[in-house]
Amino acid sequence: MIIDDPRSKFVFIYHPLVLMGRSYTVYQGKEMTNAEVLEYWGKWLVLGERPWLDELAEKLDPYVERKEIPVIKYDRLPPLNLGLDECVMMVYCDRRNRDDVWKILTQFGIKMKAWVTERETMEMWLPGGILLERWMASEDYDEATREAVREDAGKRLNHIFDHPEEIYKTWEQ
Amino acid sequence: MAVIVRVPGSLKDWFGGSDEVSCEGKTLGECIDRIDREFPGIRDRLLNEDGEIGAILIFLNGENVTKLEGLATSISDGDEIGIIPFAAGG
Repeated sequence: MIIDDPRSKFVFIYHPLVLMGRSYTVYQGKEMTNAEVLEYWGKWLVLGERPWLDELAEKLDPYVERKEIPVIKYDRLPPLNLGLDECVMMVYCDRRNRDDVWKILTQFGIKMKAWVTERETMEMWLPGGILLERWMASEDYDEATREAVREDAGKRLNHIFDHPEEIYKTWEQ
Repeated sequence: MAVIVRVPGSLKDWFGGSDEVSCEGKTLGECIDRIDREFPGIRDRLLNEDGEIGAILIFLNGENVTKLEGLATSISDGDEIGIIPFAAGG
């Protein structure tokens, strides 16, 4: 199910059960802990123009419906403020299933193979992380606001690192 | 060792308008040096001022090379190198 809500900066492809509160960070029927997400969760990156990603999303939606792909999101607009002039689609899955998901992507002409772990992404958005700092610079925040943003990011993300046994919870994007 | 190097559309200008080039070398570092001879300035785009990977994300067969051996990562015939802007990883 493609969720294209203009209030979000992303377009999502979810299984309908996710909209009813079911987690998508699941492996073999069991919700993953923070430690498992940090160890196994990640995404294949697909870069392209928005119209092409919209077409690809239509083609991938059935795989999400069949739970062969857990979740997908992609940029509504190119994140120019982060230095990107094309949109990024993130095709999420567990590392242990990523070869199967990659085979699906290759059917639709995806050639460039780029796997980024959730741990790597979180590290980029921790206080001092390259993407958090680049994003704040693009927003032209004053130093007090930057500190508040760093504190909030640190609180959210460090909770994941500091509570490995808890079930992983996503947040609204 | 011939390998394929792929970039997304937004970086095609780096390779004279192509999103795919081939290069040779025993390691990623050698491969980048060879590409730099063909497309001068590529090395500076890919590496930071210390000559390290960090300005961009580089993948070997899908794996981030910083998780492998960086520029010393061995490459083999038929391998595929992907290069994408750093921000795409977030």
